[in-house]
Amino acid sequence: MKYSYLILIILVALFAGCNQSTNSEKSKANKIVIGISMLSMQNEFIVNINDEMQKKAQELGAELIIVDAERSPLKQIEQIESFIAQKVDVIILNPCEYEASSPAVTKALAAGIPIVNVNSATKIAPTAFVGSNDLESGRIAMRFIADQLGGKGNVVMIQGLNGQAAQIQRELGAKEILKEYPELKLIAQQTAEWDRSKSMDLMQNWIQSYGAKINAVFAHNDEMGLGAVKALQDAGMKDKVIVVSIDAIADALQAVKKGHLDATVFQDARKQGAGAIETAVKIAQGKQFEKELLIPFKLLTKEDVDSYLK
Amino acid sequence: MSQAAEQIIHVNGLNKSFLGIKALDNIQFDLYPGEVHALMGENGAGKSTFMKILMGLMVPDSGTINFNGELIENMDVHTMLQKGISMIHQEILMVPELTVAQNIFLGREIKQGYWVNEQQINQRSQDLLNLIGLDLDVRTKAKNLSIAELQLIEIAKAISNHAKVIIMDEPTSALSDKESAMLFEIIKDLKSKGVAIIYISHKLEEIFQIADRITVLRDGKFIITKNTNELNKNSLISLMVGREIKNLFSADSRVPGEVILKVQGLAKKGKFSDINFEVHAREVLGIAGLMGAGRTEIARAIFGLDKTDSGEIILKGKKIEIRTPKDAIEIGIGYVSEDRKSLGFIPELSVIENISLSSLRNYSKGWFIQTKNETKASSQMAGDLKIKAASLKQKVINLSGGNQQKVVIAKVLLASPSLIILDEPTRGIDIGAKHEIYKLINQLANNGLAVIIISSELPEILGMSDRILVLSKGKQTAILTKQEATQEKIMHYAVH
Amino acid sequence: MQYINSIRQYGLFIVFGIICLLISLITPQFLTVSNWTIIVTQVSINALLAFGVTFVIITGGIDLSLGSIVAVTGVTSAMLAHPDTYPVLLPIFMGLLAGLLMGAFNGFIITKSKIAPFIVTLGTMTIGRGLALILSDGRPVSNLSDSFNYLGSGTVLGIPVLILIFILVFALCSIILNKTILGRYIYAVGGNEQAARASGINIDRVKLAVYSISGLLAGLAGILLASRINTGQPNAGAGFELDAIAAVVIGGTSTSGGRGSMAGTLIGVLLIGVINNGLDLLNVTSYYQQVVMGIIIIGAVVLDSLNQKSNS
Repeated sequence: MKYSYLILIILVALFAGCNQSTNSEKSKANKIVIGISMLSMQNEFIVNINDEMQKKAQELGAELIIVDAERSPLKQIEQIESFIAQKVDVIILNPCEYEASSPAVTKALAAGIPIVNVNSATKIAPTAFVGSNDLESGRIAMRFIADQLGGKGNVVMIQGLNGQAAQIQRELGAKEILKEYPELKLIAQQTAEWDRSKSMDLMQNWIQSYGAKINAVFAHNDEMGLGAVKALQDAGMKDKVIVVSIDAIADALQAVKKGHLDATVFQDARKQGAGAIETAVKIAQGKQFEKELLIPFKLLTKEDVDSYLK
Repeated sequence: MSQAAEQIIHVNGLNKSFLGIKALDNIQFDLYPGEVHALMGENGAGKSTFMKILMGLMVPDSGTINFNGELIENMDVHTMLQKGISMIHQEILMVPELTVAQNIFLGREIKQGYWVNEQQINQRSQDLLNLIGLDLDVRTKAKNLSIAELQLIEIAKAISNHAKVIIMDEPTSALSDKESAMLFEIIKDLKSKGVAIIYISHKLEEIFQIADRITVLRDGKFIITKNTNELNKNSLISLMVGREIKNLFSADSRVPGEVILKVQGLAKKGKFSDINFEVHAREVLGIAGLMGAGRTEIARAIFGLDKTDSGEIILKGKKIEIRTPKDAIEIGIGYVSEDRKSLGFIPELSVIENISLSSLRNYSKGWFIQTKNETKASSQMAGDLKIKAASLKQKVINLSGGNQQKVVIAKVLLASPSLIILDEPTRGIDIGAKHEIYKLINQLANNGLAVIIISSELPEILGMSDRILVLSKGKQTAILTKQEATQEKIMHYAVH
Repeated sequence: MQYINSIRQYGLFIVFGIICLLISLITPQFLTVSNWTIIVTQVSINALLAFGVTFVIITGGIDLSLGSIVAVTGVTSAMLAHPDTYPVLLPIFMGLLAGLLMGAFNGFIITKSKIAPFIVTLGTMTIGRGLALILSDGRPVSNLSDSFNYLGSGTVLGIPVLILIFILVFALCSIILNKTILGRYIYAVGGNEQAARASGINIDRVKLAVYSISGLLAGLAGILLASRINTGQPNAGAGFELDAIAAVVIGGTSTSGGRGSMAGTLIGVLLIGVINNGLDLLNVTSYYQQVVMGIIIIGAVVLDSLNQKSNS
């Protein structure tokens, strides 16, 4: 009696699980099967890539097995191992980390299964890479700030989760530009862990300590950029401070249109997703493919944001 | 045994203070090989502080201890253990998931290379158990044993440690009479082997049965050391409390009133069966029996702590169904458990908060506690029961055992029950507090309450009860009136 | 008991005061009204969670599902808070209801199955995270009405609504814990569950109540968070439960149950907020911030256990 509730829950969960797997088993016969391990399905940008991949796969008639690594490189490696065991035709890897996800690539290559990295890189080179160069996004964002301020002023930088490839590359890119402008000073940098409310708290605290000294904010992603915008708006300072961030998620595009966010760097999830599937299918069919397909970034300001809004 | 050179332990002028309060004041103490030396005193007299110093758990402020005539320089645990001083604690310290043998050799396993030689440990443990006459497989896990068995194993462990001095703190508090008798046999055997025993107990009967000499402490002071045959119960009690207590039980004659509780055919599989009895208003019913006879189990069942399989409980002529203690309390049954610590009080709550816990609704308006009313009612009850505490806002965990017991009784009484069940009400509390609790029980019965008292101490049962229900192996074997009951008769029916 | 508690809290106050003094000596901006408004606003979400879980921890339990409840309720309320759809009370009500139900679910499973709260709420934590993703389709729910956003960023008579709610909830929780029968029963169950049962307390009902309260307040926190950042985020609140539990522990509530206070939790919450704020003001990198926070948590517990020893 005591445990009947739990047993019920477990049974329901099992049934739901069974149903799904039998469905996907049916049509496996002659289609190209692609195993995909995604960084995190809780991130809007990654979800966008995922959606595009599904669309493209339907168009090309490929079968996808998509799993979520929940930001754990270890989990990701296990997922790749399971793809190898399932003998998928191609693997698409959206790496969690530069170094720690490398063994996944090694294993796939050793098992003779081609592997395509999407969105970010690993230390070990895969069969093909589809994505963008994060260094470039940092450069674009900081160059925008430099142009707007006339190469002179104080900048604060809100960073992603320290140690992740995207955070490191974006920081390095931004700092390259800062070197070119000696009068553009980075007065504070701190992580807000990609999170909107944490970024808002951080910005509030900076407003307290630096106040009107802050001329511009560079946030490593839009979530944090929007958090900073909110804090600046609450303090009545938004008009005097430039905010730029990266990713061009829907919320950020709206904010750019309204003039709250000054610019966002568009990283093309659609092209990355579609490109990854196309490359994977080409490899599976033994056709020619590009070893490194780089999707360029694009800076979006109020003037050119309209066409990107759905 | 009078020559100083023979002393195994000689303590001279021991002093110990806590925050300016003297816990031990100039203690003198001698112990000879092969003697049982009882250490007597009320709670707070300084017995446990003294024992902690002997065990090396505490360092005295001043004074000396000689062991076999040699002055001990470092009074730490390690030294004392090496000298061969062992203690059988009131609370059993064993690892439940390990076997008996593993527990006995815990911390000094017999090794063979890197491995523990289980076979040898088992063999030697079995020898030890045979030595003390305990019939038990040493591969049984400790968690499956009774408290009595665990206690005997502790003794076996001490023996295997080549103990020269064994301190026993209330060793029989959880033992049945039969098991106690077995313990006394083992003590005799140890004596003949020259082991000295320091024996602490609140049970006067057993002191006179086994002790050679008695040392009395009171309020941290050394009072006297005497040969047992120079003392009797009354003189010992007056030495301990510093005043005379006449007539420990002081039972009054009463005329019982209406039937309060009637139990018919109560049964619980494996615990007890076919239990039938009545308790009247203005009456004390004693329940006697050996450990495991089902005494506590019946009380727990009536109070709704355990479920029963069959039988009826009739309160004041009405058949009632009790599923939880809440039900029992609401219809007027109170229960003071034998296990004060786990079923009695809430250690972190104050005296006032503990006393009002079962009747909080009477001192509340809606969801809110009326603190004034609560404090008033609790304080009055605390006063009636003469609860001694620095403040009634003090946490109950900081009170002495006797006062904790009174707090539990106060809580039960404040819920105004018509029947109160007291399970081992005086276990582990000192003689002064015992006397007050006996007076209280009499008073409650005189005031019209029905009282059930469960006890392993036959003098207590005989002294307090108007009628006595005797149990044996879960069955009721007799109901004796006060006039016909004797210790022998009760024992006769208890082993029936 | 009150007396000893007050000494303990006094000690915590001193630590709190010293830390504030130190920070203010280094950065003059620290001791300003505007900065303190920010500190209190920033801690208000964690405070709601901490107040709720204080009840749970005093009963000897734990609630790891708080962060997930924040996500579920944030998403739920945001989905109903688009402009020109429903009146603003609906998303608030539904958010609170979702929190309450999840809390009650915890309480129900814990009391009926007798499984350890740690395990049950760990399960709910995962379930909740999944629910939030399902409801939102893995995307932040944005475009919320101004009246909904008012909760998180509006002011009344110059005081942020968040701070007013914070104060109100603190007062209510203090009253429940100190003045009501439920409060007393919570201490009793945590202090000695068996004795509480033998004293006629319906233990299951008390536990159901504390987990429900904890869920309800997490629901409120979720709504306020969504309102504050103008989106309902399915990944919001990850790790919030640990911040809340840390605040409770720093505040002197014993994780083994039976002992603790709302005032202690309040100080614990403020202490965490002050340290985060101070270290940000000093532009100390987050690596060091984490180390400092860990030291303070352990320090608080060590201080507490020393206190306990000297008391007994």
